[in-house]
Amino acid sequence: MRRILWCLAMVPAAALAADTPADREISLTIYNKGIALIEHVRQISAPAGRQRIEFAGVSAQIAPETVSFIAPSVELIEQNFDYDLLTPAKLMEKAVGSKVRLIRVNPATGAETAEVAEVLSTVGGTVLRIGTRIEVLREDSLPARVIFDKVPDNLRAQPTLSVLVNASKPVNETARLTYLSRGLDWNADYVAVFDEAKGESSMQGWITLQNQSGTTFVNARAQLVAGDVNLVNGEEGYWEYQRQRRNANQRAVGVESTARAQLGDYYLYPIKQLTTIANNQTKQVSFLDAAGVKTSKGYEVTFHGFESRDQPESAEVRMRFANSTAAGLGEQLPSGVVRVYVRDARGQPQFVGEDHIGHTSAGSELALKIGDAFDVSVLPTLVATRPVNRRSYEYDMSYLLRNARSTPVVVTLRQDGLWRQNEVLKESVKGRRTDADSFAWDITVPANGASSLTVTLRNSW
Amino acid sequence: VNPRLPLLLLLAALGPARAAAPIEVISPRADSVSVTIYRDLFALVTETRTVDLPDGPVKLSFDGVVETLLPASAVVADTGRVLDEANFDYEQLTPGSLFRRSVGREILLTRTMRGSGKVVQVPATIVSATDDGVVIRTRDGNEALHCSGIPEQVTFEKIPDELQQRPRLSVLLARGAAGRRTVRVSYLAHGFAWKSDYVGRLTRPNRMDLQGWLTLRNLTNTSFAGAQVQVVAGRLNLLDVEDRGTSVIGAIGSYQSEQGLNDVRAEALEEIREEQAEAEEDYDGYPQLLSGCYPMGPHDLRRSYEMQTITTGIQGFGGGDGDELSEIMVTGMRASMAVKESLADYQLYRLPWPTDLQARQTKQALFLDKRAVKVERFYSWSLDALDYQAIDDLESPLLKLGLENRKSSGLGEPLPEGVLRLFEPGAMGELFSGEDTLYDTAVNEDVELTLAGAVDLSLDIRIDSDSARKEKDGNNVTLANAEIMIANAKGVPVTVEIRQTLHRYIANAQVVRANHRTLRKHGDYAWRLRVPANTADTLTFRLRWEEIVED
Repeated sequence: MRRILWCLAMVPAAALAADTPADREISLTIYNKGIALIEHVRQISAPAGRQRIEFAGVSAQIAPETVSFIAPSVELIEQNFDYDLLTPAKLMEKAVGSKVRLIRVNPATGAETAEVAEVLSTVGGTVLRIGTRIEVLREDSLPARVIFDKVPDNLRAQPTLSVLVNASKPVNETARLTYLSRGLDWNADYVAVFDEAKGESSMQGWITLQNQSGTTFVNARAQLVAGDVNLVNGEEGYWEYQRQRRNANQRAVGVESTARAQLGDYYLYPIKQLTTIANNQTKQVSFLDAAGVKTSKGYEVTFHGFESRDQPESAEVRMRFANSTAAGLGEQLPSGVVRVYVRDARGQPQFVGEDHIGHTSAGSELALKIGDAFDVSVLPTLVATRPVNRRSYEYDMSYLLRNARSTPVVVTLRQDGLWRQNEVLKESVKGRRTDADSFAWDITVPANGASSLTVTLRNSW
Repeated sequence: VNPRLPLLLLLAALGPARAAAPIEVISPRADSVSVTIYRDLFALVTETRTVDLPDGPVKLSFDGVVETLLPASAVVADTGRVLDEANFDYEQLTPGSLFRRSVGREILLTRTMRGSGKVVQVPATIVSATDDGVVIRTRDGNEALHCSGIPEQVTFEKIPDELQQRPRLSVLLARGAAGRRTVRVSYLAHGFAWKSDYVGRLTRPNRMDLQGWLTLRNLTNTSFAGAQVQVVAGRLNLLDVEDRGTSVIGAIGSYQSEQGLNDVRAEALEEIREEQAEAEEDYDGYPQLLSGCYPMGPHDLRRSYEMQTITTGIQGFGGGDGDELSEIMVTGMRASMAVKESLADYQLYRLPWPTDLQARQTKQALFLDKRAVKVERFYSWSLDALDYQAIDDLESPLLKLGLENRKSSGLGEPLPEGVLRLFEPGAMGELFSGEDTLYDTAVNEDVELTLAGAVDLSLDIRIDSDSARKEKDGNNVTLANAEIMIANAKGVPVTVEIRQTLHRYIANAQVVRANHRTLRKHGDYAWRLRVPANTADTLTFRLRWEEIVED
């Protein structure tokens, strides 16, 4: 069986070891579920007949069952994926029954004596037959080199895919190899610099690509696919899917279309130029850069029951914006993490918090949780509980809202976790029902001051 | 003539548009650096770097960024050009990675005969390098490295490009005007922490001097010279690193209590320190070579390596004790305090002078120094009516320290969370009288800390109650008579607060009668008694309430 030599295309010397064959073209389509579709285009030249073609440099995390090999004039007989790594112990093990050369070195003189030996066993030590003698390798601890004439085909320095083919005539043509691989993933990361005084933020979106596949892809054409591909890989796939779907920060769903290329239910983010994606590399590519996005800040506090506290509850700080064209950001946003920055007194952006967003269609409204306000808090007090009957109670609540900031703030206070029937009997500030079991009040708290809200609620079932 | 040129042209014709190779510009270090440390074990590092950019496409590399950099957070600004991509691929140069990345490369193998000292040098190629050993090819054939018993030294021609001595972040920039630019590189990095600690000294029974200290820690291997350092106080929303967030201690939103979060932070910090100490211990003087051989005689690899070490006279690098590496530096003085500014909805404290923040260093700075803060030292005990059957207990109340965070009380400053330790003058010098966690406290909020259990002060609590089923609605109506004797065996007068807890399971609560004035405190009923030295006083009250039994 002969081996086919790849026609070596030139690659940047830096990236590859000397004998790794190169791709003429390589395309990666990376899904944000830790999976990628990889296509290698290589030139093959081979004589006629049955032979083996090796594809070194494929992803070490290849899913062999997804491999497809297409070359017009060759017939595929079988394909193998060898990941038996070449180590000294494996080399010796595979040499059982065959001959090696043993070079003994005289430690005093350095004089070498060469002998041919047959390897008999490698279990618990290496047993050799030298001529008619049987010996254990280096039992005397004296130096002895073992020379192997050849490395078995299926022992590799790296995992290698090989196909057994039959060519009816000599070939010199382009072959395509495609497969799915794990170990490649991407996510969107957003950087928002929020200017509270102007009520706007600048927003940058980055695609962060991670290559843990064990392989470096040189000068690849890459595109990234945003969407929820369902993968049958046990429970993890399902929960991952659920997790990405959950999107608690989205306050209104958008219905705007954008110019972004689509493929079925997925959005495509192509990387403009050819890119080298090294193993263990994290690469970021910009896909969104918007300034002057209308953004506001809000404070929210939610209480789930009726109780007094000794320590006040800090208000949640939320950053509200829409990814609509009107608000200055007409782009759908693939699932990812938004990191928010605010400039300090010296004008330097400082990190103030982060939140997750799901795949968000354009025109949606988002309210990201940034953190808890140091200076805005609410202290609840249960003033009185009165039973109306055994299924109905009245609660007098008083809330003290404090603001230690130098500007007035509006706090949205929510009382939820109510029973089936509930009503507000008295309130010091006009509130609103937010859903079947919650009410909300918007309370203005003056700068360096406090406000209070008193509410009487009837709760029944 | 470049022999590769025709092939290059061919490829250019075949493949998709291939950009001209960018020119690499390396920025070896930052001109200035700012480190903002957060409580949740990370920091924002902002560097300014001056670079000379040629007009063509540029690969701009920033050397010496912090090794724990979170790549997704990296931002490179002020380049004046379109940024095509950013890359972070730090693979540290180690003996093992050097072998692994040199597969397929030529090396020079030097063999030294033990007895004669005769040296043989042969060129070889590394065929395979895995955790289980190295296979090389010499002119004789394939051999395993370090298995023959002959001392073998491998000499590499160059360090593979993938390996770097220092972590490096690089960006590809589109073409633009040539010239000098000052760019800003910022990123989040793990391995930093800060906390605050308070020292209170009672100067008079109701006055305390209060100092607040920032303790900053750099647990990374990166040192910052002349850095601008600040810390951020407040609770940021952070996601777990597993979900591509920043927090190594899980999503911050998942913590119900501040105390729970504190404990986890402290544990995580301790873990990092332990890991570092272990990593240092693991290094036992042998370089971490990829080692493994086929089975052979009575020699094990480590021993044969040891023999080589002895013959060649190379000794292990005697590593120091982990603790020696950390240094504690206290920089606080009355004159130089961290300066506070408000940042979004948090507090930011800035060290007003540039400082050297060394690798594995702990640094302290003063951020609060207040004299004669008005405090109240009192004793407190809470009663829950639901426990009332017939009580006859002897209890000792808790020592509390109350303070109002107001200008009028001599304070009125944001107080970031930390442990307050109280000291008071005693006959034999200063006494430690207890500590408690002070949570984030805004101006005008009140603080109450629990310092200790009381000594020489006891409560004799007697309560008897009658329950009667209320006819109409069926709730239990209870009338309780409480008699609480407070015995003060101390030589000083004390204030004692008795709280009657009220909550949603207690309806229509009413103090029918009491021998001291009844107050309301956070929804509870409360009584305060001033008990003179070496005397006893008694609180009596009668409470009526209905217990709610939810169906």
